[in-house]
Amino acid sequence: MIDALWQNLDYAASVVLFCIGLYTVITRENLIKKFMGLNIMETAVFAFIVALGVVEGGDAPIAGSGAAPPFINPLPQALILTGIVVAVSTTALALSLIIRIWRQCGTIEADELREAE
Amino acid sequence: MSDWPPLLAVFLALPLTAAVLTPAVCRSSSTRGWAWALVTMLVTSVIGGVLIARVATRGPFSYVVGGWTAPYGIELRFDEFSAAVAIICLLGVLAIVFSRRYAERALQAERIPYYYALLLLNLTGMLGFTVTGDLFNLFVFLEILSLSGYALVAISGEKIAEMAAFKYLVMGAISSLMVLFGTGMLYALTGSLNMADITSRLAGAAQTPLIVALGAMTLGFMVKAALFPLHVWLPDAHAIAPSPVSAILSGLVVKVGIIGMLRLYQIAYGSGAVDLAGLNLVLTWLGALAIVMGAFFAVFQDDIKMMLAYSTISNIGYIVMGLGLASTYSVIGASVHVFNHALIKATLFLGAGALIHQTGKRTLTDLAGIGKAMPFTVAAISIGAISIVGIPPTAGFLCKWYIALGAMQAGHPFFGFALVFGALLIFIYYIRMVNAFYFREPRDRAAVDVQEAPATMLIPVLVLATLCLVMGVLGRLPLTFIEPAVERLLMPVGGG
Repeated sequence: MIDALWQNLDYAASVVLFCIGLYTVITRENLIKKFMGLNIMETAVFAFIVALGVVEGGDAPIAGSGAAPPFINPLPQALILTGIVVAVSTTALALSLIIRIWRQCGTIEADELREAE
Repeated sequence: MSDWPPLLAVFLALPLTAAVLTPAVCRSSSTRGWAWALVTMLVTSVIGGVLIARVATRGPFSYVVGGWTAPYGIELRFDEFSAAVAIICLLGVLAIVFSRRYAERALQAERIPYYYALLLLNLTGMLGFTVTGDLFNLFVFLEILSLSGYALVAISGEKIAEMAAFKYLVMGAISSLMVLFGTGMLYALTGSLNMADITSRLAGAAQTPLIVALGAMTLGFMVKAALFPLHVWLPDAHAIAPSPVSAILSGLVVKVGIIGMLRLYQIAYGSGAVDLAGLNLVLTWLGALAIVMGAFFAVFQDDIKMMLAYSTISNIGYIVMGLGLASTYSVIGASVHVFNHALIKATLFLGAGALIHQTGKRTLTDLAGIGKAMPFTVAAISIGAISIVGIPPTAGFLCKWYIALGAMQAGHPFFGFALVFGALLIFIYYIRMVNAFYFREPRDRAAVDVQEAPATMLIPVLVLATLCLVMGVLGRLPLTFIEPAVERLLMPVGGG
C-alpha cells in the first residue's frame, strides 16, 4: 500500500491538490478566493495529465537530436497547453463578472450577497 | 473516405468564423448583427440538412481533420445521434429571429453585436460537441459552449444576472474539469483519444481506474445536464438570461450533458469492458427523484420563467431515467425526448419572452387575463403546456409513453409509476398557468392592455407550437430513425 503510494507520488499529489482546491471553493465566501480554489483544482488536473506522459529516464522524441528510446509521450503536454488556454479564458470571464458584481452590489462576499438578494 | 469530404468541416468552420467576425462586421448596428447571424445559421442549417440526409441513406460517416488519419488526428464523426444538430440549427435560427426586437429592448445597444457573436459561438460549440469523434476535442467544444453560455447569462446586466452567471461558471468549470480528468484517465488506460479507438482498446483494462474515469465523466455531464441534486445553478441562470438565451440554454445546452452521457455509453457498452448495472441504477433513481422534485419546486413558483426552469429539471429527469433503465424502448424514448423537449421548452420560453416583452411583467399574478390581449402567443404557450404534460396528440406524449414502456420492459414498473406521478404534478402547475392567462380577472387592467407581439417574435413561437403538434402526429419518424443506433448501442461486445 505505502509502496504503491510512493511509486505513484505524482498522482497522489494531484489528488491532494484537487481536494485542497475543492475545499477552498466550498468553504470560502469571498468570490475571488472561491475562484482561486477553482484554479488550484484546474492545476491539479493539469499536473495529473502531464504526469501521465512521463517515462522514467526517457528522452524527448525530437527527430535529429540524437535521442534514443524510451521516449517521453509529448501528447499530454500538448493537450494541457489547450487546457491552460481554456483555464485562462475562464479566469478572465470570472474576474470580469466579479468586477461587475462589485460595482453593482458593493461587495464580493457570497454570504452578504445572499442577504442583499 | 467520402465523396464530399469538406462539408462536415465547413459545417463547424462557418458559424465559428462568422461568430468571431460578428463584432467587426456589425460595429454597432443591431439590424446588421441580426441579419449576419441569421444568414449564417440558415446556411449552416442547410448544410446540416444535407448531412442528416446522408446519414439516413448511407449510415454514419466521418471526416479526418488536417489529413491525420483516425487514431492519431481528430476525427469528426456523424452518426444517428449527431442528427441532434437538426434541433440545434432549428432552435438557433428561431431564437435569432426572435432576438430581433427582444434584444433591442432587453440589452444595451453596444452589447447587441457581442450578443449575436456569443449566440453563434454557443451554437457552434453544441454542433461541434455533437459531431466530434475525439474525446479531447469534445472537451474543447464543451468549453466553447459553456464559456459563451456563462457570458450570455450575464449579458442582460440585471442586478442578479452576474451572480447567477458566476454560480453557473463555478459549477460549470468544476464539471468540465471532471470531464477532462476522465479523458486523461481513459488516455492513460488506452493510449488513445479517438472514441472508436478507445472502444476497441478498452477490453481487459483494469477495472478500478476505468470505473473512476467513467464515474468522473458521468458526474461532469450530470452537472452540465442539471440532474437533481446537481441542478442548483440552473433556475437562476435560466430565469435571468434574456428569453431567447433561456430557450437555447434550457432546450439545448443542458442536453449537451445527455449527449455526452450517450457518447460515454457508446464507449462503455461497445467495449464491454465494464458492468454498468450500478451506474444505471443510480441514474434511474436520480432521474425519478429529479422528475418529482423539479415538478414539486415548480408548483410553488410565481415567476413564469422560474417555473419553466424548474420544469426543465423535471424533464431532464425523464431523459436520464430513460437512459438509466437501459432497455431499448426507454433509451429510444429518452433520445427522442432530447429532441421534443427542446421544441416544447423553446415554445414556452419564447412565448414567455413575448409576454414579458409586451407587458414588462413576469409573474403569473401580474399576467392574469393576458389571454384576451395576446391570443396567439397564449394559444402557443397553451399548446406547449399540453405538450409538456404529455397529453396524447402532442410531441411530449410519445417519448414519455416509450420511457414508461421501457420501464416495463426493464422489469421496473415502479419507475413507470414515478413517471406518471411526475406528469400529474407537471399537469398541476401548467394548468395553473393556463388558467391564470385565460380565466383569472386581471389585477391591473392597464398592465395587460397591450398589443399582440410583433411578427418577428410571434412567428418563431407559432412555428414551434405547430411543430409540437406535428411531431406528435409524425412521432414515429424520429423513433424509427434513432432505433438502429440505439440497438447498436445496447448490443453487447463488438457492437460499436
